Amino acid sequence: MLNRATGEGDGASRPAALSMTGIVKSFAGVRALKGVDLHLRGGEVHALLGENGAGKSTLMKIMFGIVQPDEGVISLDPVGSVEIGGPRDALAMGIGLVSQELSLVPQLDVAQNIFLGRTKGLRIVPRGDFRQEARKILDDLAPHLKTDSTVSSLGMADRQLVEISRTLARGGRIIAFDEPTSSLTPAEQEGLFAVIRRLKAAGKAIVYISHRMSEIRAIADQVTILRDGDVVAVGPIRDYSEARLNELIAGRELSREMGGEKPAPVQGKPVLRLGQLSTARVRAVDLTVGAGEIVGLSGLVGSGRSAILRACFGVDAVTAGMIEIDGRPVKVETPADAMQAGLALIPEDRRGHAIVPMMDVERNFGLGNYGRFSSYGIIKGGERRRIIRRYVEEMRIRPPRIGAEMRNLSGGNQQKVVIARWLATGARVFLFDEPTRGIDVGAKAEIYALLRRLAADGAGLVVVSSELPELLLLCHRIGIVSGGRLTHIVANDASLTEERLIELASREDAP
Amino acid sequence: MTDQTTLPRPDTAEGKATKAARSGDMLRNASVAIGCVALFVVFSALNATFYQPSNLIDIMLQSSINAVIAVGMTLVIMTKGIDLSVGSVVGLSSMVAADMLSHGLLAGIGAGLLVGLVCGALNGVLIAKLRLPDFIVTLGTLSIFRGAALIYTDGQPIYGLPPEFRAIFAGRILDIPTPVILALVIAAVAFLLVRFTALGEQIIAIGGNEEAAKLSGINIERVKITVYVVSGVLSSIAGFVLIARIGAAEPIGGSGFELQAIGSAVIGGASLFGGVGNPLGSLIGALTLGGLQNGLTLMNVPSFWQYVASGVVVILAVFADQWTRQRG
Repeated sequence: MLNRATGEGDGASRPAALSMTGIVKSFAGVRALKGVDLHLRGGEVHALLGENGAGKSTLMKIMFGIVQPDEGVISLDPVGSVEIGGPRDALAMGIGLVSQELSLVPQLDVAQNIFLGRTKGLRIVPRGDFRQEARKILDDLAPHLKTDSTVSSLGMADRQLVEISRTLARGGRIIAFDEPTSSLTPAEQEGLFAVIRRLKAAGKAIVYISHRMSEIRAIADQVTILRDGDVVAVGPIRDYSEARLNELIAGRELSREMGGEKPAPVQGKPVLRLGQLSTARVRAVDLTVGAGEIVGLSGLVGSGRSAILRACFGVDAVTAGMIEIDGRPVKVETPADAMQAGLALIPEDRRGHAIVPMMDVERNFGLGNYGRFSSYGIIKGGERRRIIRRYVEEMRIRPPRIGAEMRNLSGGNQQKVVIARWLATGARVFLFDEPTRGIDVGAKAEIYALLRRLAADGAGLVVVSSELPELLLLCHRIGIVSGGRLTHIVANDASLTEERLIELASREDAP
Repeated sequence: MTDQTTLPRPDTAEGKATKAARSGDMLRNASVAIGCVALFVVFSALNATFYQPSNLIDIMLQSSINAVIAVGMTLVIMTKGIDLSVGSVVGLSSMVAADMLSHGLLAGIGAGLLVGLVCGALNGVLIAKLRLPDFIVTLGTLSIFRGAALIYTDGQPIYGLPPEFRAIFAGRILDIPTPVILALVIAAVAFLLVRFTALGEQIIAIGGNEEAAKLSGINIERVKITVYVVSGVLSSIAGFVLIARIGAAEPIGGSGFELQAIGSAVIGGASLFGGVGNPLGSLIGALTLGGLQNGLTLMNVPSFWQYVASGVVVILAVFADQWTRQRG
């Protein structure tokens, strides 16, 4: 496609440390990767960009041996063509992956984690040797870490450093970072960048995946952009303006969507009011959401933004404070109470928390809503089918067969079914946690339209999102969550930008 | 956020995937029946007595106790749970029932059912409310209930059950043994429950994804306690049949029934991964194990070997479940 040849341009004189050529991978007959090339060179940071679902993670999983490609060749300098049968193979070949879900064993200490899987059978673990060797690696990378600290006592940033050390201990030459900064504070991010620069100087080939443009510009040399399983651009990052990168990542559709008007402020009666709401992870949150209003919550992963939603919905135990719906205080101790009170939670982890994959669409739609769809314990199938069919039509749920098993729907369509479920409960307040996570571009626009319509119909919405453009596009007001507190809440007017939100988020002081 | 692991699937691929899943389900249901029929055909070929109507009715009769327990077990397994205490509930409730029968038919039956209900409720509360692992809880109550049955009469059996009790639970109507009718009715009711009631859907939802069920407002604790209570009550009914057939209640009655019941449920298509199961299938599962034992007995295979054969069949069924799951 575009510029595919440019990758050969600069630095082509040096052989690639790792080349993936013509990688094809299908899941259940759908092509996730349609012949992707990726060439990594030592001493370079290669940014891998793309929407959720574009194929980045699949490509990384193939590189790390978690997933096997259907077609394509992986070749490693100087060995040549290799087959990576699993993470053990990958590590042995010097390929490491530092991802969000770190593969450390929390109960073991730093040195044990660095040398995990290095002893075989019943041989005595040479603890002393491991300690010493771990120390050597850490001295270079993270002198502040002790080899005998238990990993569970470490913060996210230090755990990443342990993970990187483990890769280096295996003689790692190729290290991929999958969204490494999403749970780091600004100071920790700087620390990580310093480490990455040192790895680069030491000749390692780095893959860097992130959604944050500023980071990419700060750290990357080369860029490969994936869209729907295809490479749409590859080349030195300096050849691309930020606007151009965004355009290439999103495709035209979303960029038009992104340029849309900011929502006009609304003045509805409060439908949701939180007064000094506290849980183990949330500290004294005050928040009012009006009818027709969309309030965004921004913050790092683990800042407590999702915990606020869980507190409202009776998932986490509320220790203090109160919740009001339509001006009436409500007691929410379980999700069942929350549903009764008119609340709806659309969780972030759809597969894990929102749907029963083996059940059909109709039953997933009716999940929990037995008050409406049963009498004397017998399911009122006819009525339920009539209503779900109406939603299927209105929301354009595909495929339009209500007998289809939920696991066979795309992420976007699953999300629509979940939203329909809550619409049918007559919910007044919708709590969305990452509403478009893992949803492709086209469906994203539909979900946005749905959210706007919910608000227009008089519901109150709270939207947690890691994607700042999404919040700026949708929300009337945006709150910043940090350390379990709502530290700022600002109107989304013309002056509000991504940079301003990041700045607010990195301020340590509460208002 | 991490990039997505579930990939977007265009609508075109969906149809194929669903069809594949459907045919997988049908294959599973069909293989249950085919396996059972094949077993009966093989034994019929090997031994002429096997396929005599009287022997076939005998097999059904012998399987009926296990079938009643297996129906409750199927519901428990569908919630991704397990009930190892069923055999001990059989023993305890039949002892109490046999004792109370001296105060009248209803007193005996009522007391026996109450014991099953209380035992099941205890399992359910420990598992659902205190969130203890089902395996350990019911392994513990297996021992507790058995101990209680032994304590109840200091280990002595109770002889001499009233004839009307024996007529109800071990009689014949139109030449069909009442336990067989009982098992059929119970399985049919459970089937309708799974298929057409809110409770049935909640059972499937909890087994399929407990977290999603909870977050959609389902009262997980209530549903779980209910299935353990049902399992307990059905075990006590199985106990009635057991003592009615023997004519006496023994404190060790029902020992080892848990393996038979779990085996029947799994052979009948219940998945230990939760969310999948069919009470009617567990009837076929019970018939398969019953037919196996009967056939081996007719062929003079020592009963010690029958234990081995039953165990092998149960493990094969679990293996088949795992195998179809991974492919589906």
